[in-house]
Amino acid sequence: MDIIDRLRDIVGERATAAPAERLCYSSDASQVRGTPDYVVRPLSTAEVSAVVGLAAAEGVPITARGAGTGLAGGAVPLRGGIVLDLSGMNRILEMDLANLAVVVEPGVIQARLNERLRPFGFFFPPDPGSANFCTIGGLIANNGSGMRCVKYGTTRNYVLDLEVVLADGSVVRTGSRTLKSAAGYDLTRLFIGSEGTLGVVTGAVLRVMPLPKARRLVIASFSSAEEAGRAVARTFAAGIVPSACEILDRTTVAVLRRCEPSLKLPDGDVLLFEVDGSEGAVAEAAAEIAALCSSSSGAAAAASVAVVAGAEEMEEIWAARRLVGAAVSRLDPTKSRIYVGEDVGVPIKMIPALIREVAEISVRFGIPAMKYGHIGDGNLHVALFIDVLDEGEKARLAGAADAIHRAAIRLGGTVSSEHGIGAARSEYMAEQVGFVALSVMRAIKRALDPKGIMNPGKLGLDDGPAGVGGSGCGARADGTPGGKS
Amino acid sequence: MTRDQQEAKIDQRALELCVRCGTCRSVCPAFEVLGWESKNTRGRIMVAKALREGFPPDAGVLDSLNTCTTCGICAAKCPAGANPPSIVQEARRVLVGRGVMTAAQAGFRAKVAESANTFGELGDRLGWLSDREGLPDRADSVYFVGCLDSYRYPEVAARTFEILRRFGVSLLRDEKCCGSPLIRTGSPAETVMEENLRQIREMKAKTVITGCAGCYSTLKRDYPPEFEVVSVPEFLALHLSELDLKRLDMTVTYHDPCHLGRHAGIYDPPREVIRAICRLVEMKRSREEARCCGGGGGVRAGYPDLSLEIAKHRLQDVPDGVDAIVSCCPLCVRNLSDAGAGVEVIDLIDLVARALETA
Ligand SMILES: Cc1cc2nc3c(=O)[nH]c(=O)nc-3n(C[C@H](O)[C@H](O)[C@H](O)COP(=O)(O)OP(=O)(O)OC[C@H]3O[C@@H](n4cnc5c(N)ncnc54)[C@H](O)[C@@H]3O)c2cc1C
Ligand code: SF4
Ligand code: SF4
Repeated sequence: MDIIDRLRDIVGERATAAPAERLCYSSDASQVRGTPDYVVRPLSTAEVSAVVGLAAAEGVPITARGAGTGLAGGAVPLRGGIVLDLSGMNRILEMDLANLAVVVEPGVIQARLNERLRPFGFFFPPDPGSANFCTIGGLIANNGSGMRCVKYGTTRNYVLDLEVVLADGSVVRTGSRTLKSAAGYDLTRLFIGSEGTLGVVTGAVLRVMPLPKARRLVIASFSSAEEAGRAVARTFAAGIVPSACEILDRTTVAVLRRCEPSLKLPDGDVLLFEVDGSEGAVAEAAAEIAALCSSSSGAAAAASVAVVAGAEEMEEIWAARRLVGAAVSRLDPTKSRIYVGEDVGVPIKMIPALIREVAEISVRFGIPAMKYGHIGDGNLHVALFIDVLDEGEKARLAGAADAIHRAAIRLGGTVSSEHGIGAARSEYMAEQVGFVALSVMRAIKRALDPKGIMNPGKLGLDDGPAGVGGSGCGARADGTPGGKS
Repeated sequence: MTRDQQEAKIDQRALELCVRCGTCRSVCPAFEVLGWESKNTRGRIMVAKALREGFPPDAGVLDSLNTCTTCGICAAKCPAGANPPSIVQEARRVLVGRGVMTAAQAGFRAKVAESANTFGELGDRLGWLSDREGLPDRADSVYFVGCLDSYRYPEVAARTFEILRRFGVSLLRDEKCCGSPLIRTGSPAETVMEENLRQIREMKAKTVITGCAGCYSTLKRDYPPEFEVVSVPEFLALHLSELDLKRLDMTVTYHDPCHLGRHAGIYDPPREVIRAICRLVEMKRSREEARCCGGGGGVRAGYPDLSLEIAKHRLQDVPDGVDAIVSCCPLCVRNLSDAGAGVEVIDLIDLVARALETA
């Protein structure tokens, strides 16, 4: 019996090998391409287990996928095989708020979870720009985070227990519902950030937090992005921990104004500091940040500082900020944002240096760069934008992305703060984590997935050539189905 | 050479605007029901792009492109400024030009060619009109009825015209389909459009008034800008004080038709008219955020199950305790009632007629 028939035996009409479907699952939001042979949309752990079991028996690669909003090609089946689209497993199974916990399936959309939690006064803090459309499974697999990471941390800090289908189809639970546990290896954390290379997450117990009583937003503008970067370092040195700290360089501000003409944003390179907590505490912290921003002398001082307390105005600014990365073409419809070199991070002190280097690289390669991001945790999103119909620009783009990645590593930072390694950044893994650490990771991979069927070609784990995808630009762009890529 | 035969290609720049971010996944009503990546906005753009590069247009491609209702919520939400419904429409046109289409698409073509309406009805298009005498040959304003009200909701056509007539509005003697179902599904509509245009010119009409959101959108966007297009709710809102409407003791909710709301920005006039008559409670998502009824873009004809399922999803937005759902488009009214609304689904003009009857 053909594999497609056996898949249909498991999930019925929710398995396909239709060319149009395979085409549509051949990419995520990155530049990486690879066409699956089959797409399956399971609705239960039992179905996932049976499909993975079949893949194991047949030696067919299997790639988990959430909403396909990943920016590293993580959900792209580089070696073909089965794509397992988990976005249909989207039930919130239990609200166990007495235990500060919720139980979810992996396909739950981050924002839907927070909509359910809000009336009870709780929230799930990891807050990516893609919150309205990415899945919890994708966030777990990438250890995603977002604007409020600087205070609340990443997804890793909010997973108590996982249900995982292992590479042979067996099902394991990794943790417990308790807030702490000291029983053996921390398997939960092993799977978080493993990008679908060790198993498929089919359920999660998540920890939630009470919503803060109040929030304030401080908006400060500076004469250069570098000066803004210095102001961030000063704020942290003064012992203030904002709940979010974002940079929007002047290009980003221009794009935001195009998207939302009503937004009140100052000229220049802008910092957004959010503080949260009790009424009194946020008022005090906001005033302190405002004072710190304006008190420096000369170019270092903020050109303007404003404090926003209205919930609606704050939400408008955050909503626009969340999607700004994809909105570059609002400035010039002939230019498209290409997500490469977009997720570097450095220790906070090194931010001004990173900003300087990125500016230099942008000039050197003649590729404009918009800079924004979670600067409070050292994460700078660099939006390189080009005319995709211009082959010369395309070629220079790859060089610029590579230079940005290498600069981040040189400054003691990372090629990916939150979007993951996937295929787009796998060539940097050895340099990033060191050869010994990579060898340990490869040993873990072999132990849990001896046949190498789980999302092969990612994270630099394959013993073969490490550089699949490279900077993400050189990868296949044909997009046409034709079996394994 | 007709537009049909021109070797059309989808504009590459329009396609490249999509950065595949996935924002539209969370809003596409067809995807919400079908769940496959090829049935969401991003997938449709990938399909359109692949077609340009020679991807074979099989059934999966046709289903991807033709399950789009052209509701436009993806365009409203797209951070990159892409216009997916127009890409979908272009892609359909390219394929139809090559003779590749679904049975439903071919059905629209055959029916409009044979009967100048989308139903293949051979009966009198003005059958609803009891009194044809005294219809002026020239008028500043004409009422464009549309196929649905002409043949499926004749009482709505009659009620609308009864009011419009008081203001000196006339009718086209031999109105044809506006062309919307053809254009949305990728076929040329010049024949019917030219015939309508000729009559509008002959009547020296400066304004065309219509009660169908699909006709409105088409008259406004696809006809030459020689005349003003006014929707019935806009007309009613403008003349509210002259209508002498009585208040009704009922509570209704309002469904924004995609082609009147998001596509044309007409949100307030229907609400103004409703509030002049009775209580209005908004649907859970309304105005710019309104969900599609599932009827448009050829989906009702081509994928009836999907169409009804989308309508059922929309009905979940209806607030508790309303006496009726009001809309301003016969296709929306029809699809929402067919989906088992539980309360009556009526055209705005029905509500107005009741407020007049009580008078
Ligand atoms: C406009 C935009 C803004 C973004 N902003 C942010 C941001 O601020 N912060 C951030 O962290 N990311 C951001 N991202 C990136 C992306 O949204 C995240 O990486 C997100 O976590 C991916 O979720 P997904 O459901 O789309 O996963 P996918 O892209 O489908 O998959 C991502 C990875 O997870 C694996 N995976 C998915 N589900 C499972 C599962 N159930 N079990 C095992 N493995 C699984 C896949 O194999 C893949 O390796 C942004 C993306 C876009 C397009
Ligand atoms: S929201 Fe726009 S850019 Fe993003 S995937 Fe959809 S169409 Fe493409
Ligand atoms: S127009 Fe509506 S149905 Fe069509 S792709 Fe966009 S959201 Fe989906």
